[in-house]
Amino acid sequence: MNARLRVLLVDDELAMRESLAAWLRQDGHQVTKAAGGLEALAELERQEFDLALVDIKMPGMDGLELLRRVKDAHPDTLVVIITAYGSIESAVEAMKAGASDYLLKPFDPEHLMLLLEKMARQRDLLRENSALRQRLNEGECIGFAGLVGQSPAMRAVFGQIEDAAPALAPVLITGETGTGKEMVARAIHNQGPRAFAPFVTINCGAVTETLLESELFGHERGAFTGAVKARRGRLEMADGGTLFLDEVGEISQKMQVALLRVLEEKRFQRVGGNQYLASDFRLISATNRDLPALIQQGRFRQDFFYRINVLAIAIPPLRERVEDIIPLAEHFLAYFAAQTGKANLVLDSRAQRALRAYPWPGNVRELRNVIERAVIVAQGSSVGLDKLTFLSPLPEADSSAMTLAEVELAHIRRVLKSQGGSVSATAGVLGIDRSTLSRKLKKAGLEPS
Amino acid sequence: MVPLGRVSATAAAVVAANLQALLGLNTLVVRPWPEPSPCLVPTRGQYDASLILRELAPEGESGALRLGLINHDLCLSFLTFVFGEAQLGGRAAVVSLHRLQDLDDGSRAPQALFLERLAKVGLHETAHVLGLPHCRAPGCLMRFSGGLAELDRLGLEFCPACQGRLAVGRARIRRGDVRAPFGSGPGLG
Repeated sequence: MNARLRVLLVDDELAMRESLAAWLRQDGHQVTKAAGGLEALAELERQEFDLALVDIKMPGMDGLELLRRVKDAHPDTLVVIITAYGSIESAVEAMKAGASDYLLKPFDPEHLMLLLEKMARQRDLLRENSALRQRLNEGECIGFAGLVGQSPAMRAVFGQIEDAAPALAPVLITGETGTGKEMVARAIHNQGPRAFAPFVTINCGAVTETLLESELFGHERGAFTGAVKARRGRLEMADGGTLFLDEVGEISQKMQVALLRVLEEKRFQRVGGNQYLASDFRLISATNRDLPALIQQGRFRQDFFYRINVLAIAIPPLRERVEDIIPLAEHFLAYFAAQTGKANLVLDSRAQRALRAYPWPGNVRELRNVIERAVIVAQGSSVGLDKLTFLSPLPEADSSAMTLAEVELAHIRRVLKSQGGSVSATAGVLGIDRSTLSRKLKKAGLEPS
Repeated sequence: MVPLGRVSATAAAVVAANLQALLGLNTLVVRPWPEPSPCLVPTRGQYDASLILRELAPEGESGALRLGLINHDLCLSFLTFVFGEAQLGGRAAVVSLHRLQDLDDGSRAPQALFLERLAKVGLHETAHVLGLPHCRAPGCLMRFSGGLAELDRLGLEFCPACQGRLAVGRARIRRGDVRAPFGSGPGLG
């Protein structure tokens, strides 16, 4: 449990406000003070708080009214009402209105400490719930997070995920677009000790350098034009959890230097801030670029590469693991069928053959999209070839000038490669006897390794 | 060190010795100051610790660290009682002997136990002045104690992380950067 809370202290009495704020700071909390309800609401618009400590009796907007407005606009901010002896009815009313607890002035020191610990636990639970809700919304299951595959190449990837999960070392995931790099990153997170902490993602290729800096490091109010409110960056949000840098190959050298410093010093400053903040996150990066080649060209820093590439996982493209295509297609078919209320859909044999023959330039993401569209237009219980819409032409169209034997041989070569040269495995995938395959290979002058 | 009113010379000497031995601070016990009667809260029969800190180290004034010792019970406007109180990274702290002399059954604590408690609270509050916040490490002297039972469970030592922070705090004192900040901080309880 991270015992440190971001506290908004609301009390109209200056002496009380100052001394309680000092006490909370010395207990390690980050405290912002407000002298009344309106000032408190303005602070809540500027920044996020874990806990609001609110005096019930204030001129103008009283504590109960403030409580209702906080719960309405900032439901994740916990509110504790401070009240004097003799006004217990107000405390009960506050609890009914959504207060997490109340304190009777003056507080017993031990009671105050226990209450702050309880609020830190509640804050952690809220964060965990939010992370779980996000995962459920994305239609994932906890565990291997929807990863499907039975090819030797993917089994090797699963093994690497299991090895990487308990470690805290940075991981670099490489693979073509659509191979499921983020799914692998989530699987590492979900299998590891930080599974119930936030998994925070940022696509480094989708934003400008300035925006990326602000997104990663956060900013203070007034740091730049438009920064009307202080904002936590992804580094802060990932505290205790995992930070996933997608498309890390797109980061500028300047940002690489800044991130390298964070990774080495474990602390950073918000844009426009002068206070050092600490964040304990595990870094997972992903790219479809050839980073060693970029280093050779002087476009990627070698020191940053070594720092993020402690553990490396390479995801093979779908065309190199043909035997995963149908299990993946069936997985997506069942998922989208359930989403659309079409139970028990199956792929007919022609559809299956077409799926296996297609080169999948968009990899698993493309397969998922093809199946999603097919499910939407499917009628009855079977999905046929006519329901599949591919981005690229089917290989049959390209191979119209080839003989049947040439097409067969090209397919055998492809499957053999995906099976690491294993004749038995290749025969299994092709649905023919091992002896038949051996005969065809011999006839074509191919000697399996 | 500043006795506020009548305070046992043995008690002052024990705290001074511990500050010297564990924190490496040269400690001088000065002649007692009068009891800080303006800091008395008549309705509670206790002294307001935050007001005493301002008496010990007026805002903006610089000079040596000051640790007040007082026989009376201390409180804060929002806390029922405190064993002590300090300015975080500031200049002043105060420790009350009042509750440290008791046992749970209401009888007097043995002198050795009383002096050990007093040393713990004196070190804890002075470490706050050196800039140390509360610590969650079990047994560390900077861990918060809400009562005597918890205080008695603490060792007379700082965890490694707090020892590191103490070194930084002592460096600040050596630089002579000692001023009383506005407001005051928490005590051991």
